[in-house]
Amino acid sequence: MSSVPSLPAFRTPGAWGAARKYLRIFRVSLVERLAYRADFLLGTVLRFLPLVTSVLLWSAVYRGSGSDTIEGYTRSQVIAYLLLVHVSRMFSSMPGLASGIAREIREGTVKRYLVQPLDLQAHLLAYRAAHKVAYIVTSAVPYAILFWLMGGYFDWPGDPLVWVAWLASLLLGFLLGYLMEFSLGLLGFWFLEISSFLYLVNTVSFFLSGHLMPLDLFGGRMAMFLKELPFQYLAYFPASVILGRESHESIARGLLVECGWCLALFILGRLALRFGLRRFSAFGG
Amino acid sequence: MVGKEPGIRRGLGSYFRLLGAFGRFSLNREMAFRGNFLMKVLLEVVWLGILLLFFHTIFRNTSRIEGWNEYQYLFFLGCYYALEGLIETLFLENCVEFGELVRTGNLDFFLLKPIDEQFLLSFRHIDWSTAPKILIGGALMGFGLWKLGEPVTAVRVAGFLVALISGIAMAYSFLLILASTAIWMVRNQSLMELWWLFSSLMRYPRDIYEEPWAVLIQKVFTFLLPALLVVSVPAEAMVRMLEPAILVWTVCAGVLMLLASRWIFRKAIRSYRSASS
Repeated sequence: MSSVPSLPAFRTPGAWGAARKYLRIFRVSLVERLAYRADFLLGTVLRFLPLVTSVLLWSAVYRGSGSDTIEGYTRSQVIAYLLLVHVSRMFSSMPGLASGIAREIREGTVKRYLVQPLDLQAHLLAYRAAHKVAYIVTSAVPYAILFWLMGGYFDWPGDPLVWVAWLASLLLGFLLGYLMEFSLGLLGFWFLEISSFLYLVNTVSFFLSGHLMPLDLFGGRMAMFLKELPFQYLAYFPASVILGRESHESIARGLLVECGWCLALFILGRLALRFGLRRFSAFGG
Repeated sequence: MVGKEPGIRRGLGSYFRLLGAFGRFSLNREMAFRGNFLMKVLLEVVWLGILLLFFHTIFRNTSRIEGWNEYQYLFFLGCYYALEGLIETLFLENCVEFGELVRTGNLDFFLLKPIDEQFLLSFRHIDWSTAPKILIGGALMGFGLWKLGEPVTAVRVAGFLVALISGIAMAYSFLLILASTAIWMVRNQSLMELWWLFSSLMRYPRDIYEEPWAVLIQKVFTFLLPALLVVSVPAEAMVRMLEPAILVWTVCAGVLMLLASRWIFRKAIRSYRSASS
């Protein structure tokens, strides 16, 4: 399968031409991704086993605690949270993005972004968007089955605004996750080997985003501090919204702050890209 | 055909000397990239921090998990961290790289050596960045035992060591089987994912699988792929009541898995040898 699609000459310059270009990349990437269906279906099924372990663990914890709630969470809510965090991560996780960028820089293939009318940030965004669509569509059935099996743990909110807010938070989570990983990958312009650093960031992010357990469970000041960081939007925030644990005001504030983070990271990415490419062409031939 | 010289036999002593050489060579290599090494050690410290914070949060809200009290659970946690460290130090890197060796054809180079291939391919790199985990895990176990205040009898220690070695054997065998499949399958990205899965099964006491709906899962991962036994049984031997039957099964499972993994590995190497010529 060819990896680089050849682009026909676009005679319509400007925004419309650019949009068509990235849409084409989106389509090609989508086809490529769907080719690995079976391999990936197995991965999805296997990914649910740790969830079963978590359900069992938290059941044991609540049994031992002798109380119905821990930091305001009932057992059902914690279990529902753990499944919902999977959904959040489905949108916001960007496996291989940062390391892929670093590798392209190291191997020099990033130079095509200097010659071709292609922007790295937008190109990879289209590519990732396609991957996500394919991933979500093919995960839909396993997740639907899982939600049906675990229906008893869920108490869905009736307010339609909350559902809209959930969708918004998931989409913003995708954007935030992308911009974060993208900026990390650009470190490749300044450091030769960043894979260990990426592992470290991923591990820290796993914890800070609330993937391990609801951030509130850390209690008091710790929880408040963790909710100031942008990582919570990758997993915790969308789950908290759809669990009905956030008021309209806090949802609005959260989404707004998230947009702020996205903007900040977008600007950081563009600056890093400009300075990085300049530094790169200073070395290259 | 890639073959071996006949008539060369290695004594056990030379295997230990080789292991020492692998360790020294790996350490030298690691020290050449000191920044990277420190970053990896930092990663393990962060992981420990996460585990301890999780442990602390749970025991802030409960006094027991399925009968395990706080310091018994701390012992379990130390045992898990140490065992994970041991597997990662000795075997994980080698098993992951095995797929790369198959793909590039460099495996031939290792098959030419007059030494058992499984030994060579399993032990050739020692990952020193995860080695501190063994000591830290040991310290956690010691701390837990001290806080528990119960006498540590020779029987318990013996049971612990026997179960621990069996657990290590099971985890190693699992990795070896996964690595061997790289010879037949082209894409091997799933090795790390499957190892993560295995380690997430051994991360908690097997008592939590007592729920009625989880019985099938408990049976599968106790008798078919004994991931649940790896950390739980040694910890139970030391700090809780352990039925002798489970200890016997743990040892048998360890031996069976070692034999099965060696058989699969040799089959894979045979099929690799017959493919390249």
